[in-house]
Amino acid sequence: MSELSNWSNPLRDSRDLRLPRIAGPCSLVIFGVTGDLAQKKLLPAVYDLANRGLLPPSFGLTGFARRDWTQEHFIEFVKTAVQAHCRTPFKESTWKNLAAGIRFVRGTFDDPAAFERLSDTVQELDRDRGTRGNHAFYMSVPPRAFPIVAKQLAASGLSRSSEGAWRRVIIEKPFGHDLASAKELDHVVSEVFDPSSVFRIDHYLGKETVQNLLALRFANAMYEPIWNANYVDHVQITMAEDIGIGGRAGYYDGIGAARDVIQNHLLQLMALTAMEEPVSFTAKDLTAEKTKVLSAVRLPKDLSLHTARGQYAKGWQGSHEVVGYLEEKGIDPKSTTETYAAIELDIDTRRWAGVPFYLRTGKRLGKRVTEIAVVFKRAPHLPFEQTAVRELGKNAIVIRVQPDEGVTMRFGAKVPGGTTMEVRDVNMDFSYGRSFTENSPEAYERLILDVLLGDPPLFPTTEEVNLSWEILDPIEEFWSTLGQPQPYRSGTWGPAEADEMLAREGRHWRMP
Amino acid sequence: MIIDLPNTRTREIAHKIEQLHEERGESATGRVLTLLIATDDNELEHALEVANAASREHPCRVIAIVPDTEHSDNAEAGANTADGAADGTANGTSADAGAKPMEKTDNPAVDLTDGPAGSNLNAQVRFGADAGAGEIIILRPRNGLINHPDTMVIPLLVPDVPVVAWWPTNPPSNPSKDLMGAMARSRLTDAMRSNNPEATIERLRRNWTPEDVDLSWTRLTVWRGLLASMLDQPPHLPITAVKVSGPKEFLPMDLLCAWLRLKLGVNVDVEYVDGAEAVTGVYLTRADGVVSLERPHEDQALISMPGQAPQAISVPVRTIEDCLTEELRRIDPDEVYAEVINEGWDLIRH
Repeated sequence: MSELSNWSNPLRDSRDLRLPRIAGPCSLVIFGVTGDLAQKKLLPAVYDLANRGLLPPSFGLTGFARRDWTQEHFIEFVKTAVQAHCRTPFKESTWKNLAAGIRFVRGTFDDPAAFERLSDTVQELDRDRGTRGNHAFYMSVPPRAFPIVAKQLAASGLSRSSEGAWRRVIIEKPFGHDLASAKELDHVVSEVFDPSSVFRIDHYLGKETVQNLLALRFANAMYEPIWNANYVDHVQITMAEDIGIGGRAGYYDGIGAARDVIQNHLLQLMALTAMEEPVSFTAKDLTAEKTKVLSAVRLPKDLSLHTARGQYAKGWQGSHEVVGYLEEKGIDPKSTTETYAAIELDIDTRRWAGVPFYLRTGKRLGKRVTEIAVVFKRAPHLPFEQTAVRELGKNAIVIRVQPDEGVTMRFGAKVPGGTTMEVRDVNMDFSYGRSFTENSPEAYERLILDVLLGDPPLFPTTEEVNLSWEILDPIEEFWSTLGQPQPYRSGTWGPAEADEMLAREGRHWRMP
Repeated sequence: MIIDLPNTRTREIAHKIEQLHEERGESATGRVLTLLIATDDNELEHALEVANAASREHPCRVIAIVPDTEHSDNAEAGANTADGAADGTANGTSADAGAKPMEKTDNPAVDLTDGPAGSNLNAQVRFGADAGAGEIIILRPRNGLINHPDTMVIPLLVPDVPVVAWWPTNPPSNPSKDLMGAMARSRLTDAMRSNNPEATIERLRRNWTPEDVDLSWTRLTVWRGLLASMLDQPPHLPITAVKVSGPKEFLPMDLLCAWLRLKLGVNVDVEYVDGAEAVTGVYLTRADGVVSLERPHEDQALISMPGQAPQAISVPVRTIEDCLTEELRRIDPDEVYAEVINEGWDLIRH
């Protein structure tokens, strides 16, 4: 029984666009399965995938945690999480099939015996559920636990697969806290797993968002001609959160807004906004373009004038009274960690010469919003009375990433009637939610399915991660010499420093 | 919200919709397509329910055309429908026929040009909770208007978005030549639910154009997906024999056999199962044994691969909502379907 090397499935046809891509036999092992992320996102996403018929019948789900649970306890726990958060209707029949493949392994990360039990469990799944030695390990654990888990997986032989089977590992951001630690982490993981088996997930950046951005830029004729320094004045990329640090004090203090969000999310959004057209949308070509643009980033000469940081002070977040960062539980009252960061970057390419990219992020800001605003230069000549265009701002294309994903175009229109001519800014709006679907898959569903299918396109590669740290490290270094970040009242749009940073160049932040 | 517009004109309907949009702060530009449904009173509410469900994924304007033959003075218009239904053809009006002068306005009471007294149209507009994620317009033409469904709906189409035509039960014998069908970029029929499935599919096949799809094909998507993913798994050996079991005279099963025959290049044996309601099993033989997908009853399917314990998976029978939603997702011509009904179909016994 020799296999044909150039075998192709006769039932598959590239023109057959209806056929869903169903994952092959496999199992998913989740470390940190009792955590918030697993309960609210991962477990429901697994159920939804099963309900949509995208998981194979030979599917196993193994939870690894410290709790003293029996398998029945754990299955009940998964069921509760699924019922509370699933997006597709809860069907007993789907659940029954899924539950039959659920296993629980009790243990701690430093206990080799626990990993032996895990190894036995996945082998049992191979035998009883036909998962064929294909296993993905989801590290829903703090980054400091990665090395030990990776080592244990290697020691127990779980990281290696037999011929024809695969092992994959899924790592959530952050990928380190600077270039050196990112390389160290990469070293640890790549010692255990092959680089092509490591999936770095940035859950802020769903595949859907990336593809929407690519479609907008490269499927249309009307944006490309003006998407350059001839027409664009500057670009603002914002990710604002209205929440504080919540229960993440341990992780957040010492990390701060820039490492938490700018390094991965905002730089990825910037790369997608600024990159040249990729040759194709395969992982390789997309990465090539993103890498190119990230490597062309130039930092401002005087970081004190072109960066800003802040720390939220107590105040009223919308309708609720909230404490300041330094009063949060678990935070050092003298902490200099920033909860707001804004930076200006230049991209040294012909397309973007002289166009500043402003990136900002913060906690306890006015509202939760992520957007990319491409702001255009004023028309070179305005054939109106000065008074007629006094109210006219700059044209803008705003790509709303969340919430209410869509596109807004901002331009001037004549105010109707009146005795004198007057032009004022108006918005034209497109929203995915209204034009398409209420049922689009959740970001985690796509992420998990991509991993199980071995389809990596839109996850950032090691090289991109390293380039991002190279951009951020000098800024962090400079900030570490500064002392206390400027406080800003919770519920506002950040510190005065950030407004001054743009005002110096005659610009201002958009109010998202 | 349901608004009746008796003895009305399309202009008034369009105006009413505009007015409602304004009041509700909505905009028609958010609609991604117009779905035209040609049907009769028996099927209407069911079809609208299905369309409502599908509109949740694809916000659309639904226009249902239900000819009011009972209140038509024009005997010919009525006869057209009655004849059609008897042999499985619908109340279609062909483009060829439409070109000929058709209407006989010998009834002096009917003034086609002026005032509500002379109206040939009753309409109903549904909004909000009664209309899924979009709006529904039900048109009940009488007399000569029955023969001009295209110009009747043109003023009501959402600007610059695709038009999809759907015949939930009896399709016209030539959908692309039908006046309503000719306007559409995608034409959906459902031969299985017509009065005579066999005759209907034969006619549809004869008159097929790339924009036509029968929902019998859509009903198979899940099964086809599972079968393809089963063959993805090694060992990758050639299939030497195929058997399919299911009910007699079941159109999706014929299409499944035709697809397997065409793609695998081996004869497909058929085993009829009395009382089955859908395909019950597919058995693919290769050198190492039989790879099978079975669904003996209910929604549990069983996948068996040589040398492995069979695995159960939940595979509910596809609903018409599922099928319509899938069709609205892709409105480009399906080339695989084209091969199956044009080539594969003739390779199997019926």
